[in-house]
Amino acid sequence: MIEFRDFSFRYREGDAPVVRDVTLTIPDGCFVGITGAAGSGKSTLTYAVNGIIPHCYPGDFYGAVTVEGMDTVETSLTDLSRAVGSVCQDIDSQMVSSIVEDEVLYGLENFGVPRDEVEARLADALELMGIADLRHRAIDSLSGGQKQKVAVASIIALRPRVLVLDEPTAELDPASSAAVFDLLATYAREHGTTVIVVEQKIALLAEHADMLVIVDGGRVRFAGAPGEVLEHSAELLELGVNCPRSTSLVNRLRASGLYAGPAARDVAEAAAACREVIA
Amino acid sequence: MAGFLEYVPGESLLHRMNPVAKLACALILSVACFCTGNLVFLLGVVVLDLALAASCSMTRQALGLARAVAAFSAVLALIALLTTPEGAVLAPLPWGYVGTGSVLAAVRIIVRLVACAVPLFLVMYVTQMNDLANALVKMAHVPYRYAFTFTSTVHFIPVFMNDMAGIMEAQTARGVEFDGSFAKRLRLMAPLCVPLLVSSVRKTNSAAIAAEVRGFNLRTAASGYKTYPMAARDWAALAACVLVLAAAIALSALGM
Repeated sequence: MIEFRDFSFRYREGDAPVVRDVTLTIPDGCFVGITGAAGSGKSTLTYAVNGIIPHCYPGDFYGAVTVEGMDTVETSLTDLSRAVGSVCQDIDSQMVSSIVEDEVLYGLENFGVPRDEVEARLADALELMGIADLRHRAIDSLSGGQKQKVAVASIIALRPRVLVLDEPTAELDPASSAAVFDLLATYAREHGTTVIVVEQKIALLAEHADMLVIVDGGRVRFAGAPGEVLEHSAELLELGVNCPRSTSLVNRLRASGLYAGPAARDVAEAAAACREVIA
Repeated sequence: MAGFLEYVPGESLLHRMNPVAKLACALILSVACFCTGNLVFLLGVVVLDLALAASCSMTRQALGLARAVAAFSAVLALIALLTTPEGAVLAPLPWGYVGTGSVLAAVRIIVRLVACAVPLFLVMYVTQMNDLANALVKMAHVPYRYAFTFTSTVHFIPVFMNDMAGIMEAQTARGVEFDGSFAKRLRLMAPLCVPLLVSSVRKTNSAAIAAEVRGFNLRTAASGYKTYPMAARDWAALAACVLVLAAAIALSALGM
C-alpha cells in the first residue's frame, strides 16, 4: 500500500510548495492514473513515491509518504528501488547503455538477479513490450517510441512491486499508446503490481486505471474510480483536463436528466448510455 | 553511420577480441611510440595502425582521425620547430635558428601523436562501451564507479553534439548565419554554450538518478552478466604488442 499523509513539498530553489496537503491511499495492485495541467505537480507526486524527492531533489518535505510501510524519507533510494521501479520522463537520459540488451541487463545485474533467471527475465520483458526483435539494436538507432518501450522493459524485467511511469507514451502514436497501456494493465493484473502512471491522455487512463487522480496547483482535486471522477467533466475542463468526448456527451445527458447511469469511460459505455436514452 | 566515438558494428578480428586485451594492446602501442624517437619505427606503427583499421573496414575513419590529430599536433610541431635549434641551419631566428633537427623534431611529434592516437580511437569504434566497462571491472578490477563515469562520458558526447546541432538549427531558423570564417562561427557559437551547458547538466543529473534507481550503488565487480574470456588471439595480439614495445625500447637503448 502507498500512503500520502498531509504531504507537501517545496523544491529548494522554489518559492512555493509544488505539492500541498496531499492525503491519498493507493491499495496494493491498483492501477492509478495521475493527470492534470502542466506544472500541476503530477511528477512531484511520483518522485515522492520512488524517493527521488527528497533524496535527489532536496527541499522542504512535510507530512509522510510510505511505500509498503517504508518511509520514503528514511529509506535509502537504493532500498526503495528494490520495491519501486521507475520510468522517467526524459527517456534519452535514462539510457545508460548503447545496446538494448545491455540496457535491460543493467538493472538485473545491479540487483543481483541470479544468473539462471537473467535470460528468462530479459527475454520476457522484451517479449512483453513487443521489442524482442530489437534486442541487439543500438539504442541510438531507435525511434522515440521504441526507446520508451525499452525503458519500460528495463524496469519490468526487475519485477518491481510498484511501477511508477512518468508519461510513458509521450512519444508514441495513439495505437502504440493504447497497446502499451493494455500491456501495463495486463502485467499489473497478472503480477499484482501497483502501477502509478502520469499521463496526459485521459482517455487511456479512464479506460485502464482503477483510480484516477486529478492534480491542480499541487493539490489533489479528485481521486477515485474513473467513473466517479469523470462525472465532474465540467470542473475537470476548468482545471485544464479535457475529458473524452464520449464522457462529456454522457455527462450532458446526465445533466439534462435524460440518463441516470454512471459517467462513460469510453465509446462503448457512451454508446450503451445513448442506446438506453433512445430506448 | 556511426558518429564520433560511436561503436561501429562488425565481425572483424578486432571486434571479436577481448575488450581489455584490445585496450591493453592500444596502450602498449602508445607507450612504445613514446619510448623511441625513431621516425622509421613511428612510421611503421602508423602503417600498422592503418592495417588494423583496414582489417575492420575503418580505413576512412582512421584516416579522418589521423588528419584531425595531425592538425591538432601541428601546433605542438610548430612550437618544436621554433624552439629546437638542432642540426644544420635552415633559417636563422632572433632567438636561435630552425635547423634540420628542428624539422625532424616537428615531424616526429606529428607522426608520434598520430601513431599512438589511432589505436586508442580504434578501440572505441570496435568495442561496445558497456563491454569495455564491464570487462575492465571484471578483469582489471577497475572500480565500477570510474568505469561508469568513462562510459557515460563517451555515451553523452554524441548526445551533446546532437543537442548543439539542435540549438544551432533553432538559431539558424531565427536568422543566425553560421557560415563564414572560423572566428565568426566561434563568436556566434560561444553564447550557445550556455543553453548547451544547462541541458547537459540536466541530462547528466537525470542519467545519474536513472542509474541510481536501478541499483547503481549495489553493483559489484561480480555483477556483470556477460563474461569476457581471453582467447588465443588475445594473447597473441598482446604478445605482438609487447614485441613492438621491446623493439622501441631496444631502439632507444641503442640510441637509434
